[in-house]
Amino acid sequence: MKYILPKHELNALLERWSAEYAVLAPQKAGAYSEFLPFTAPSELCLEEPHNTRYPPKALFFPQSEAILKYKQNLGQLESIEAVPQKRVIFGIRPCDAKAVTLLDTVFAEGDNQDPFWLARRAETLLIGLGCNEPGATCFCTSTESGPFHTDGLDALLTDLGGEYLIELLSERAVGLFGGLTPANPTQQESVQNLQQAAEQALPKAFELDGLKDKLDRVFDQDVWAQLSESCLGCGICTFLCPTCFCFDLVDEAQRDTRVRNWDTCMFRVYSLEASAHNPRPTRKERTRQRLMHKYSYWWEHAGKLGCTGCGRCVRYCPVGLDIRAMLRKASAYESEALHAN
Amino acid sequence: MTELEAKIRTEAARLLSEGLVDVVVAFRKEDAPLRPQPAFFTNVEDLENLVYNGLCANNLANYLTRFPQETRIGMLVRGCENRSVNALVVEKQHSREKLTLIGIPCTGIIDWRKVVALTGEDILAYEDSAHTLTVRARHQTFALPRQELLHSSCLRCVHPNPLSADILLGEMLPEGDPALIRERVESFEALTRAERTAYFKQEAERCIRCYACREACPMCYCEECFVDHNTPRWTESGTTPAGTHAWHIIRAFHQTGRCTSCGACERACPMDIQMTYLTDKLGKDMWDSYQFAAGMDDQTQPPFASFTLDDKKHFQVGGKQS
Ligand code: SF4
Ligand code: SF4
Ligand code: SF4
Ligand code: SF4
Repeated sequence: MKYILPKHELNALLERWSAEYAVLAPQKAGAYSEFLPFTAPSELCLEEPHNTRYPPKALFFPQSEAILKYKQNLGQLESIEAVPQKRVIFGIRPCDAKAVTLLDTVFAEGDNQDPFWLARRAETLLIGLGCNEPGATCFCTSTESGPFHTDGLDALLTDLGGEYLIELLSERAVGLFGGLTPANPTQQESVQNLQQAAEQALPKAFELDGLKDKLDRVFDQDVWAQLSESCLGCGICTFLCPTCFCFDLVDEAQRDTRVRNWDTCMFRVYSLEASAHNPRPTRKERTRQRLMHKYSYWWEHAGKLGCTGCGRCVRYCPVGLDIRAMLRKASAYESEALHAN
Repeated sequence: MTELEAKIRTEAARLLSEGLVDVVVAFRKEDAPLRPQPAFFTNVEDLENLVYNGLCANNLANYLTRFPQETRIGMLVRGCENRSVNALVVEKQHSREKLTLIGIPCTGIIDWRKVVALTGEDILAYEDSAHTLTVRARHQTFALPRQELLHSSCLRCVHPNPLSADILLGEMLPEGDPALIRERVESFEALTRAERTAYFKQEAERCIRCYACREACPMCYCEECFVDHNTPRWTESGTTPAGTHAWHIIRAFHQTGRCTSCGACERACPMDIQMTYLTDKLGKDMWDSYQFAAGMDDQTQPPFASFTLDDKKHFQVGGKQS
């Protein structure tokens, strides 16, 4: 069912939810926006043509999290319970909501049942906001997502200027949005047109069809060295990525705590072994790992693509490396290399 | 192509084709709007992709330590980059004879964040000229005064001219006013201890420990950074206050007498964290105590790296007192 919510009623609605849920919504934090607890009256950042800088994966999988307490030398362990809290994440973009479903395949599938992830996931509703005008670094339509895709969402809002059209996508969402006016046919049609226009406005960043095979075939080629020559090997593209999930376990002995921290394949020390051998010794192997993981290995371990086209890695790379161009160059390299053979 | 770009390409082509250098480190045309990329040019044909404008934001001296000592490097250097190269030569990271510095007097680096703040994120193209940056966004074209867009470190820059370039392209510029950087440090010093602590916490605690500041800094070239060391560990590992405070303080300290105030660390930071107020403070202390500024030549050891057997050791109990 599709409903209409006048914009001036939004704050009151979020306030009503706050009685039962912790409500998180994008708000200004310095020069950028971030998911912060909603407290009325909050100024929300819903008009920006892009997502928050820090990825909302952190709301389910925090960058640093204590997972175990122990008493040194006493052999005592004390588990830390995941404390579920009823939450609504309001205003998440479709690329980021899809990313949460991709991370389900890591933290909540088969034998991998991460209690912290599961507890937060079960109690959280995701209310999405579509993107009328995707930004210049967005490329969700090239990555099996789109500015109005609904993967992972309980409801999707479309901005119609003075009001939002709300599409309810789960039973739980029906309870949240009681008593709204159904959308009339004209409103439904303008939403359809708007959504189509947004999809079409996004240029194709690369051809996804056959890309995995092409990348697999150039695994050993020089192209990765060329693509990564200026890479700094920092953590930006992976820490800000909504689908990157690598972590490291560290015992903070002085606090008797075992901590799980985000880690990244772009760091040299990530793959450094105790013997001092490093199977990914240079930026070439590390950059290849980042791109291949998202665009090849994800297909193998999850049957899905590991990038949602959110554009964060493009926007914030300090040396301007653009994953779209890197993928285009890697796949073009193949035809050159094959041609030469 | 601008006139300056044409000159850079010509010089780079000459250096490569005459076999005087193995590589030219400069900038390449961007893939993402506003973000020209550092690049290593090894053949003349590729130079058609070379660009140079105010959005070339990285300190290229950072790449010096990527190459083996025997590589003959041609490098584009502005004032701060030239000083970073000098500081690296002092630290024996490359021999000066193997370097050909193509110097450009610098009119300041444009901070893309300021451009975005004024125009929105939807930038499709831009053109940089002497006083104006013209930005084309989807619905509108903006002509922005360049001076309002400069990175804060560049607004306080003292030495915009390359000090020891082998080839100089462009007109020399007037030196900057040294009072500006001093005033900034003094205004921080003038805060109460509680205010300084609050400011430090507000900046450091947003840190996500991506280490882009480290990786973008020419002087951070340690094979193993203290923060990655785990036997013993020097800092708490996570993004806790203890972890981020330690990172920010020790990173800054390691720059004492080495930092050239280029601001590359801040430009790289994804969280817009201020950190040059710490390194600039150390720079001022170095000047006040030792009349030393990093990278002004390629011979003088920074005070904390040099020692003599008759060191007065003021700081030691029983050290000589004058
Ligand atoms: S953000 Fe850019 S410089 Fe940093 S690791 Fe990623 S590609 Fe390399
Ligand atoms: S790889 Fe880049 S574009 Fe893709 S999901 Fe991650 S940050 Fe977004
Ligand atoms: S610490 Fe920052 S300002 Fe100083 S030299 Fe390094 S990058 Fe430049
Ligand atoms: S670049 Fe910024 S976020 Fe990253 S480690 Fe440095 S200060 Fe922290």
